[in-house]
Amino acid sequence: MTAILVSLVIGIPWIGALILWRTSDEAPRLQHTLAVAFSIAAGLSSLALLPYATSNTVIDIPMGSVFGNLTFTPDGLAVTLTIIACVIGSLAVIFSVDYMKGEAQLSRYYAFVLLFIGAMAGLVLSGSILFMFFFWEITALCSYALISFYNDDPKAVAGGIKALIITQVGGVGLLAGALITYATLGSYQISDLINNTESMPANLLGLIAFGFLLAAAAKSAQFPFHTWLPDAMEAPTPISALIHAATMVNAGVYLLARFYPAFVHVPGWALSVTIVGLISALITAFMALTATDLKRALAYSTVSQLGYMVYAIGVGGFFASQFHLLSHAVFKALLFLAAGAVIHAAGTRDMRRMGALGRQMPFVRNVFILGALALMGLPILNGFWSKELILEMGLTHGPLWAYVGMLLVAGMTAFYTLRMTWLVFFGKAREALHVHETGIAMKISLGLLAIGTFTTWLLAGPFSHMLQQTLVFHSVTELTTLELVEEILFTPATYGALAVVTLGLGIFWLGRKQAAVGKEARFDILSRESFGFEWLNRQVTSLTLQAGSALQKTQTGKLNWNVMGILGALLAVLAFLLWSA
Amino acid sequence: MNLTIFPWMIAVPLGASPLVYLAGRLFRPSWVRGLALFALLLSWIPFVLIFTGQGMQLSFNVETIGLQADGISLLLAAVTLALGTVVVLFSGPYMAGEVGEEKYYAMLLAMIGFMIGLGCAKDLFNFWMWFEAMAVSSYLLVAFYREVPASLEAGVKYLVQSAVGSVFVLLGIALVLGNTGSLDMDEIRSATGTLPQSGLALAGAFFVIGFGVKVALVPLHTWLPDAHSQAPSGISAMLSGVVIEAGLIAMLRALSTLGILSVSWGMLFLGFGTLNMLFGNLMALQQTQVKRMLAYSSLSHIGYMLLGIGFALSDGQQAGAQGAAFHLFNHMLMKGLAFLAAGAFMFALFHQNQVQRSLEVKDLAGAARKYPLAALTFSIALLALGGLPPLAGFMSKWQIFVAGFQSGNGWLMGLVIFAALNSVLSLAYYAPVVNMMYRQKMGDAIEQGKSIPLAMNISLVLLALSIVVIGLWPSLMNWLTEPAGQAILSAFGQ
Amino acid sequence: MTLDPLNAVLIGVILLLAVGFYGLLITRNLIKIVLVLQILVKAVVIALVLAGKASGQPGLGQSIAATVIVADTIVAVVALALAVQVRIRFGTLDLSKISSLRG
Repeated sequence: MTAILVSLVIGIPWIGALILWRTSDEAPRLQHTLAVAFSIAAGLSSLALLPYATSNTVIDIPMGSVFGNLTFTPDGLAVTLTIIACVIGSLAVIFSVDYMKGEAQLSRYYAFVLLFIGAMAGLVLSGSILFMFFFWEITALCSYALISFYNDDPKAVAGGIKALIITQVGGVGLLAGALITYATLGSYQISDLINNTESMPANLLGLIAFGFLLAAAAKSAQFPFHTWLPDAMEAPTPISALIHAATMVNAGVYLLARFYPAFVHVPGWALSVTIVGLISALITAFMALTATDLKRALAYSTVSQLGYMVYAIGVGGFFASQFHLLSHAVFKALLFLAAGAVIHAAGTRDMRRMGALGRQMPFVRNVFILGALALMGLPILNGFWSKELILEMGLTHGPLWAYVGMLLVAGMTAFYTLRMTWLVFFGKAREALHVHETGIAMKISLGLLAIGTFTTWLLAGPFSHMLQQTLVFHSVTELTTLELVEEILFTPATYGALAVVTLGLGIFWLGRKQAAVGKEARFDILSRESFGFEWLNRQVTSLTLQAGSALQKTQTGKLNWNVMGILGALLAVLAFLLWSA
Repeated sequence: MNLTIFPWMIAVPLGASPLVYLAGRLFRPSWVRGLALFALLLSWIPFVLIFTGQGMQLSFNVETIGLQADGISLLLAAVTLALGTVVVLFSGPYMAGEVGEEKYYAMLLAMIGFMIGLGCAKDLFNFWMWFEAMAVSSYLLVAFYREVPASLEAGVKYLVQSAVGSVFVLLGIALVLGNTGSLDMDEIRSATGTLPQSGLALAGAFFVIGFGVKVALVPLHTWLPDAHSQAPSGISAMLSGVVIEAGLIAMLRALSTLGILSVSWGMLFLGFGTLNMLFGNLMALQQTQVKRMLAYSSLSHIGYMLLGIGFALSDGQQAGAQGAAFHLFNHMLMKGLAFLAAGAFMFALFHQNQVQRSLEVKDLAGAARKYPLAALTFSIALLALGGLPPLAGFMSKWQIFVAGFQSGNGWLMGLVIFAALNSVLSLAYYAPVVNMMYRQKMGDAIEQGKSIPLAMNISLVLLALSIVVIGLWPSLMNWLTEPAGQAILSAFGQ
Repeated sequence: MTLDPLNAVLIGVILLLAVGFYGLLITRNLIKIVLVLQILVKAVVIALVLAGKASGQPGLGQSIAATVIVADTIVAVVALALAVQVRIRFGTLDLSKISSLRG
């Protein structure tokens, strides 16, 4: 039964992708219907997998020669991420019915969305590092295809290729880790790696650990690879929601969480993870303070929140990080889709041109505020509980300076989130934008996500129970939701954090008149340049291209020169033989 | 049973070659396509019988000419026959009505026969004869459009550089003969143990350079981008998918007979492999012509194969040899498909409109709307070349990478990382082509394009399906790659 | 000191090769390139005969030398045929002018 469900969760979206690829763009209604049907079916089968969560390997197919076994292990962690991918993915698809109405090439759009969802499910369910990498690469391909979906627009094309190259460069870390694992243990199984960390040579284990950190940082857009995610905002907004909440960026955090028991004793690893999370959270929060593009501001906030999760893993808060991942997936999907509704209606992403849109779109305003409150970490929304849990873990288990940094981020988050909400929905209307309330499909997705934002924290108890029951290598203390509530409410740290959040809100409130009149521009250069990392990216690109054009000069097209190459190579080979003899 | 059936693999295409030519000349030119296809399908029969028949004799001697089939020969035969058949199918509409159509098929069949023969030769000099015959037939095919200046230029460079390579091969043979007094590969191998090594090492260097021209080792590669981009597309597919690989197999055969310095050759291959990957990718990144870009990407893929063989020879990694054999097979599928798809576009966009020019990447804008199948198969080929799963190229690269890591040697592991980064770099030129094809706005060339004939579509689909199936089920080709890998290792005494 | 005849031939071979490669590096005329290639092949033919002699298999060396001459004639014919076409299409045999394919 479990095996069937696992195959369904991956198979349904992939078959859907194949079918949608073959549908004609002349029949958009059929395409919308099929896409919604397949994504909901995938979502339902992922939910059906919930009671069957197990630490056993349910599918095990030998692939022959050096490819190990294709295995799937639907434990609590995998099932949770599968559900996030499939359910939030299906909400993004439902949202797309309105958002993508009248767009061309829907077959390509939906096929890749479904392929993406299936690949993400495969990635988290896979019990073999090779096949994890296999699915990892497919998600990279899908994100590339979807980010540059509007491929007549050069910015979208550039954003797509940037995401592809950066995540692939990081992926080399995962590849190296998988290869080292196989070379030393003769198996790609995750469980074999975690079981044998004691007997592995320390330097190799360290290579795997830092290779995986590299891969995770690239995939989750963490420092120093954070530059691709803001540029990925050229994608249609449902895709941004999909990438930010359901699929792509969760993969990196998942990778760290999954292998935490294997690497926790590698010297310096946990500290490096903490630092990566801290730096990412800090610099992107800073960038979000002055961002003027609504989607970019949200994108920075994603990196910042992912920083929280990475930080949590670094300080040993495995459960806190996954709990925040769940909360974040729900409220960030809500924020993105609501932002999508605004952008769809207003026809611009520039917050300086918006303002006072709340009166015309009250529903969207209300749900957006809900998402914003969760992002700020205000009670009693899901973001509050998970963020507080992370901060508490940080205070009790991590270094104090990192905790102070994360606390600062919490204040900045409150500031930029309020700023965003204010600029879009309140204040004066700076331009007469003719907006309209959203369509029914959009409202369904937004409504469901809003309910989720209110309620998913109630799942903390069952969630920890499931993780504790089905994870063999992680030590998760089972606690009920009530215990969690008590723990957070009776910790003084919570009130400290809330005070910082209030401070952030207050600072914005006092300076709200200054917002959106262009004073940000002074700081904006820093954030647009990603603190110099954009410059770095450009340097790497231009050096590569310069090397290429320098080499082009060697292809002269002259025969004499070509013969010279042959004789030169002969001399080189002879010299090598002399040297090696 | 003591049947010797495998020489028929060679005899059928070689025998059919003049018949096809005569049929085209004496009767109707349109017959030649069917006849050529029939001849190739016939050549599959002995190939299949080798694998199904028990105790089949795998060596054959007439006077002094000996043939012997081992894992490497069968790999080369499989690759040649597979792509040859698809290319002949594809060429039906592509070459229809061209002046000299019968010569095209006659030469193609001859080239196929010579290549299979090359894999089976057991005497060093006969081996050179097969090699030279293959080369001559390929010169004529490269310069097939003799009225086009660029293709003549490519043909001339290809010929002169190959001739220089051939001189080196002969010098190597002379050295071997002078040192051992024999040309039979097995005899040489058993004799070399007692001989001074310097002469043989020099012979090895000559073999590396001589065959290296055909393999397109950097910096011997300068003819390749010209020849592969200017030949008729079916021939580009054969050149990139089979001929350079045949050169690689020839080089391995010749070197292995020397029986010395295996580790040095392995290191040499690693060096050339590194150079090929980097150079091929950086150059491909600069190209705007589709076929020239594909030609440069062949350099980098040869680099991967060299890497696998290097791991096998320098560290005795069977996975390296097998991975190289697997990548050789997959590269035939991927690059064959890529060139054929590019050819299908050239046919529909240019030839049908009596335009004579090269295919630029930007000509493909919006291709998917009008040619969904060709665009999809081309994308599959490109993404597979870039090493994305679930396509074949990923799996064979992976096998090579495993070999590097199993060595446990830091340098070799570093090379694997370098190769993986090169794969990422290659995506920077493959992905934009795919992107271009799936644009919403169609370019002028696409707007005016004619339809792609069924025979072409069938050949594209056949290759694309194989790429996907092998990608999902990589051990499917073990029957072919495992003996080939073992044969490479044992030939070098590892 | 007298020169061993085998060594004398070997020196001849090396000289011919040197002439051939030097020619390939400086010659721009396509016909001359074909001639230079012939010089190289003749050097190889002598080398093969020499190798047969030196290893005590003169018959083998001579027979393959003869075969190389035949095979190489075919290459030369193809090369000259291409040269004729080049002269027709480009109007020149100067290779430095026949270099449109670069980069």
